[in-house]
Amino acid sequence: MLDVGRHPNIKLLAYSELEKLTGEAGNFTATVRKKARYVEEDKCTGCGACREVCPTPVIDLYNEGHAERRAIYSWFAQGIPSTHTIDPDHCRVLTGKKCGICQKKCQAGAINFEQKDTILELPVGAVILATGYDVFDPSRIPEYRYKEIDNVVTAMEFERFLSASGPTEGHVYRPSDRKVKAEIAELENKVRKSLKGLEKFEKDHGMTSAEFYAAHQNGSLNPTEALEKDRDKWLERYSAHLEHETPLLALKEKAKGFKSAKKLAFIQCVGSRDLRFYPFCSGYCCMHAIKESIIAHEHDNDTHSVIFGMDIRAVGKGFEEYKIRGGNNSNIVYKRSRVAEITKDADERPVVIYEDTKEQKVKKEPFDLVILATACGPVKGAGKIAETLDIQMDRFGFFKTDPANPLDTTRPGVFVCGCAHSPMDIPESVAQASSAAARAVQAVMKKTDQKAS
Amino acid sequence: MKTTGETIVTKDILVLGGGIAGIQSSLDLAEMGFKVYLVEQLPSIGGKMAQLDKTFPTNDCAI
Amino acid sequence: MNKKNVSLYEEPRIGVFVCDCGSNIAGHLDCADVAEYAKTLPHVVYTKENLYTCSESGIGEIKKAIQEQNLNRVVVASCSPRTHQPLFSSSCAEAGLNPYLFEMVNIRDQCSWVHMGKRADATQKAKELIRMGVAKSAGLEPQEAIESSLIRRILVIGGGIAGLSAAQALSDMGLEVILVEKTPSLGGLLQQVNRLDTGKTARETLDEIIGDVRSRSNITCHTSATVQETGGYIGNFNVKIDTEKGMLEEMVGCMVVATGAVPLIPEGLFGYNGKTVISLMELEQKLAKNDLSAKRVVFIQCAGARMAGREYCSRICCLIGVKNAMLIKEKYPLTDVRILYRDMQMYGTYKEQMLWDARGKGVRFDVYSPENAPVVADGKVKFFQTITGKTLELDTDLVVLSTPLVPRKDSAALANMMRVPTDQNGFFLEAHAKLRPLDFAADGVFVCGSGRYPATSTEARTQGIGVASRVAAILFKEKLVKSAIVAEINPESCVGCKACLTMCPYEAITYDPGKRICQVNEILCKGCGNCAATCPSHSAQLRGFKPDQLLAQIGAA
Repeated sequence: MLDVGRHPNIKLLAYSELEKLTGEAGNFTATVRKKARYVEEDKCTGCGACREVCPTPVIDLYNEGHAERRAIYSWFAQGIPSTHTIDPDHCRVLTGKKCGICQKKCQAGAINFEQKDTILELPVGAVILATGYDVFDPSRIPEYRYKEIDNVVTAMEFERFLSASGPTEGHVYRPSDRKVKAEIAELENKVRKSLKGLEKFEKDHGMTSAEFYAAHQNGSLNPTEALEKDRDKWLERYSAHLEHETPLLALKEKAKGFKSAKKLAFIQCVGSRDLRFYPFCSGYCCMHAIKESIIAHEHDNDTHSVIFGMDIRAVGKGFEEYKIRGGNNSNIVYKRSRVAEITKDADERPVVIYEDTKEQKVKKEPFDLVILATACGPVKGAGKIAETLDIQMDRFGFFKTDPANPLDTTRPGVFVCGCAHSPMDIPESVAQASSAAARAVQAVMKKTDQKAS
Repeated sequence: MKTTGETIVTKDILVLGGGIAGIQSSLDLAEMGFKVYLVEQLPSIGGKMAQLDKTFPTNDCAI
Repeated sequence: MNKKNVSLYEEPRIGVFVCDCGSNIAGHLDCADVAEYAKTLPHVVYTKENLYTCSESGIGEIKKAIQEQNLNRVVVASCSPRTHQPLFSSSCAEAGLNPYLFEMVNIRDQCSWVHMGKRADATQKAKELIRMGVAKSAGLEPQEAIESSLIRRILVIGGGIAGLSAAQALSDMGLEVILVEKTPSLGGLLQQVNRLDTGKTARETLDEIIGDVRSRSNITCHTSATVQETGGYIGNFNVKIDTEKGMLEEMVGCMVVATGAVPLIPEGLFGYNGKTVISLMELEQKLAKNDLSAKRVVFIQCAGARMAGREYCSRICCLIGVKNAMLIKEKYPLTDVRILYRDMQMYGTYKEQMLWDARGKGVRFDVYSPENAPVVADGKVKFFQTITGKTLELDTDLVVLSTPLVPRKDSAALANMMRVPTDQNGFFLEAHAKLRPLDFAADGVFVCGSGRYPATSTEARTQGIGVASRVAAILFKEKLVKSAIVAEINPESCVGCKACLTMCPYEAITYDPGKRICQVNEILCKGCGNCAATCPSHSAQLRGFKPDQLLAQIGAA
């Protein structure tokens, strides 16, 4: 990744989009919109000082929505380019409010709220499409209750949980528990404030609020003039305080029982191999589930995982061996089944309802966390890309190729690789990427050949 | 750039998408001596792979 | 460019640049104090604190100081060398200083970030790290990058779909190819295949590609030929090829291994007899000749795969099984076709679609588990039907065993000759399972097709074309240029004990029996330093990391 940023032959246009492609193989003109970052790329050193002072929190999509970033941000810590970007939908200045703290903080003078999009016209000989994929939205499957049950997450969300740089710093906490902890933090904040409001009364009258309240309740309050004056206000504030403190204590009690998630269910083919959604297989998700269970087990040896799948497609070099190793050493059980439904028990635990095909019985089993292997589908906006490039899509929504020329789209000079071609894993993507590069070079060289002759 | 017999004028190449596939294509092209424009819609390249904690079967760090 | 040629006897004039990295470093330690301290170190004639040494102005400061202060060593104390060393050393070169006279000290990742909140301690440690860096830099020597010529010709071993595709693509890119095929005909395993999953016959597809390859003036095909010997290194391999016309000696710049794999003959499995119990490849032949009379056909998947002793999944047998099951159903709709499987490996878009279509055509699928494997005897297949919990006995005229592809018997010998590794299953082992699927760890040698791991014809073709890219990335360059940080062996003190030779992971060291000393091939050497650490007489040394340089650094700690 780093090499891309540094290679003298690569002009990196991040935060940019293709708008138009005219011409023909060997002689295209690509119109690219370079979106305004509001940060000047040649000045920003990526130090992150701006980010630390930005007052505006924004949901962090890199962490699949499980963390917050700021309105000025880098997509992720090691991102290339390291240039920060201001999110125009959230930045206070760009939404017409007062702020500009980042501009004051930036010692490199890189912040520029006046920056505009720029349009580039690039003469190119060939185009390689490597636009990747988007994952299936699991809330479209009502019986899996992804939206309703906190502890049902996607494989990519789980990936972020496992990551040391992720929102849980590599600990597998249940989202429902994290929600309670967030509530506790919020209530603690409120309690701290309400305690401050009680401080003066307690000092002035030489008793705690609890003592005052008890005395008031049983009528033993000794009514001095000063106390008489403060009584109603004190009562009011104290009951407001209790309104926060009582649930806080209850939540804290509850949180004492929180442990990291140890019993995991992986549900395969969520949205794939399903005629309601994508009929095809996503290829990589079985291995993704196995890898995640192995890593989870590495983090905590008490972790047990069940992988529910119709087939376990460990189809790649060393994959079957990896799968067996997972079963032998990492407490993974593979169950041949398509999960019918997920419900929830009283302790926020997801309950998986499935048919055990070995025993021919319908079973219900609670887990700490359910991880959905969401399908790898065509990228959002694939239709628009196809239109812009004037290429055809296949019946599945990926860019169409021909098996004899597996990298060539329907437009000469435009090639495709990786998951834009069809779902595949990393080594296949890399091999295809090299092939697409070869095809692009051939397209450019042939063209020049013809011109020469 | 020289090839058998004749000298060939090179043309630039556009790569759309800065995930692992786009990165690999770009690096190969750049190493072959072609100028590459790598267009990525997000603020940084890396794609989905940059979101991964580790990769199997070697369990190497993804970044 | 007028590079300063610093002699070892010239007094070192060291410039030290301390980077604040905004607040990343300066936020946790006192950079001004550190820079002030650096002034007091031996040979340091100039110091400068920068807000960002990597910024344009920071780089400008370095260049200016090299010229104005006549610096002959530069030390930057900042972040990670992995990310920034290339920028700083190339900037030194631009200012006329040999880039190998640059030294970097990491006071961010190794200091400010790990000692946050301990300002005094962090400042002290930064000083010590810089003292070490300065001590090392004083002893640095100028180096010249190593250059070597490149022969723009490629040896492709194997004339199957992968090798043919590689040859085609390389030729398209204007490179010369020598294609060596062991058998008398090109085409590889596909010659035994009837119809491809694309609908075309394998013959049609092959004829098209072979015809094209044969017509290219820059591809030389040698059939009934084998590679006997390979030597040399990237850019300059010398190879000996045994052809029908006698032994040929050629020089090539890169080599591609595309030797493929062979289908397992299922001797001793499921009552295999070649008549009523046959392999997938034998079925392909039957279908090609239109001589299928069976009314009840049962396929058994994973015959000889995913078991003790052959653990791997062969990736393509499910696809071939389903393809043939569908062909039978299309041609003989009344034939009863059943597939007994463990996991249907129909990954991706169109393969899974085939599975839907096969069911639509009436092909029946049943799961079996390896503990309860099907038994074939007396025209019957007995198997435990998991889904109903019953044991079934099927009357069968023809049993087809879907056997895996296995490595060629001679691939170990080839690997040995070419000095490339194989994996535990005997397939060729690529440089990195994820990121370098087509490269061998040895520079200039590549792999594609089923020799690496079973691949469909489309995948093998893709890999073959991909290899062309990897090769051209080397051979399109004017010459090979590599870092000067390699090992050298002093011929005066080497006693020829060969300790270094056995430690070298890149086979870069050879023994000269005449002179009785070991020698380093600079092109093959990757600068790992194993030999330097091993050599009992300190004759082997790694440039830029010589004992006196490192000892000075350690001494300053």
